[in-house]
Amino acid sequence: MSELWEVLSEHFPELSSGFWVTVRLVLISFAIAMVVGTAVAALRIAPLRPLNWIGGVYVEVFRNTPLLVLLFISFAGLRRAGVPIDAWVAGTASLGLYTAAYVAEALRSGVFAVGKGQIEASLSLGLDYPRTMRYVILPQAFRTVIPHLGSLTIAMIKNSAIVGVSLLALPDLLHQARLVNSRTFATNETFFWAAAGYLMLTLLATVAVRRLEARYAIHR
Amino acid sequence: MGYLFDPQNWEWLTTDNNLRFLLEGFLVNLQIAAIAMVFSLVFGLLLALGRLAKLRPLSITAGVWIDVWRNLPLIFIILYLALALPAPWKDLYESNVPGFLPEALQSGRVFAGILGLVLYNSAVIAEIMRAGILSLDRGQGEAAASLGLSYPQQLRYVILPQGLRRMVPATVSQLITLNKDTTLVSIIAIQEVMRHGRILSSGFAAFTGADVQAPLLQVFIFIGALFVVTNYALSRVSRRLEVRERKRTGGTAGPVIGLEDQTALATEAR
Repeated sequence: MSELWEVLSEHFPELSSGFWVTVRLVLISFAIAMVVGTAVAALRIAPLRPLNWIGGVYVEVFRNTPLLVLLFISFAGLRRAGVPIDAWVAGTASLGLYTAAYVAEALRSGVFAVGKGQIEASLSLGLDYPRTMRYVILPQAFRTVIPHLGSLTIAMIKNSAIVGVSLLALPDLLHQARLVNSRTFATNETFFWAAAGYLMLTLLATVAVRRLEARYAIHR
Repeated sequence: MGYLFDPQNWEWLTTDNNLRFLLEGFLVNLQIAAIAMVFSLVFGLLLALGRLAKLRPLSITAGVWIDVWRNLPLIFIILYLALALPAPWKDLYESNVPGFLPEALQSGRVFAGILGLVLYNSAVIAEIMRAGILSLDRGQGEAAASLGLSYPQQLRYVILPQGLRRMVPATVSQLITLNKDTTLVSIIAIQEVMRHGRILSSGFAAFTGADVQAPLLQVFIFIGALFVVTNYALSRVSRRLEVRERKRTGGTAGPVIGLEDQTALATEAR
């Protein structure tokens, strides 16, 4: 038991720096996922077939490709091809674009949940398609899918560990835990603290989402 | 763009037995996925029933178990098990693994990988199944009980057939995720498609006497395409089945439905 605290006190700097890398990774990727996801959802429900098709291809490609493969393509692949991409750019873009496909699907279902009559009413009031989107559909769609976006955020926290393991230049919590473990051989203790870090983040996200849900969510 | 589509950079696919080598690796992924899927579904159902049990200690234990495993990163679990799993467990696996499985699956490390996949996915699937069972009207269980069915009989004939059917789409999308997650076992040095891809593009071509260099970018785009095709097919089949089932039973979707079938029904309705 004492060894448990020993590992934490001796290696706190490494573990906490890893923790913050994970947090930063998740926050940046979350922003990318929301922006791209919203754009793709808009494409998927646009009143123009070719746009629907492009959005659909995006979703199917990014949702069905393993994140690890995306990371290989975007970092090592591009570098070998002569594109000097930064590890942070490759990591956050991979995680963000991957999650964006799920965000787009969630928003699309949220849009379908907005009554058809509302869209017709908005159009007949003279709002054009982008404005209908901006003022009528999306605000409601976002509020309907808060619980779903929450579980995507939690999935993103977990998936950030894949980024840290495959990109050496991104020393996240799991990466640091492996380093500490290779020096101390205290596997159970080191991984216990890393697990505590991840559970703390996922728990925090769960509580935050529950709060948001209580305040804003529309239950249909 | 020119680099990406340059036929020279795709020549590796048709030379030597590169394609065969990649597909052999991919088969290992599919086999790991199949094994992990079966165990995850079985344990997921048991965990869900445990969490719903009337016996408090059992439901609390199952609940904590589920919440811990489902909130940890899968790659974390796999790495931890690979480091910490006692050697006798791995030996037990190695001496009992069926001989017809490929060489990559004979190593004891595979046990850590599969165990990790099952621990994580059974916890996630347990939550999906629990939601399905809870979404059923209470009256269903009560009616079955008042007809004189015992608890196991209620589960077997009334609750599970309805509850689980509702959760088919969510379960299938989790199984697709599982299929993608099999690539994570490459981190613990299991020779599957990611490792095969790295060997092909490692630049050793000059030493092995191969004439054609396989560029990393193209190799991994091809691997990604393998997954896209497989997973897309899996999701189409399940959607088809789901819509047909809905039509056959004439049932409408309950309050708790997965995203997939919401969209499936929406597109069907158009």
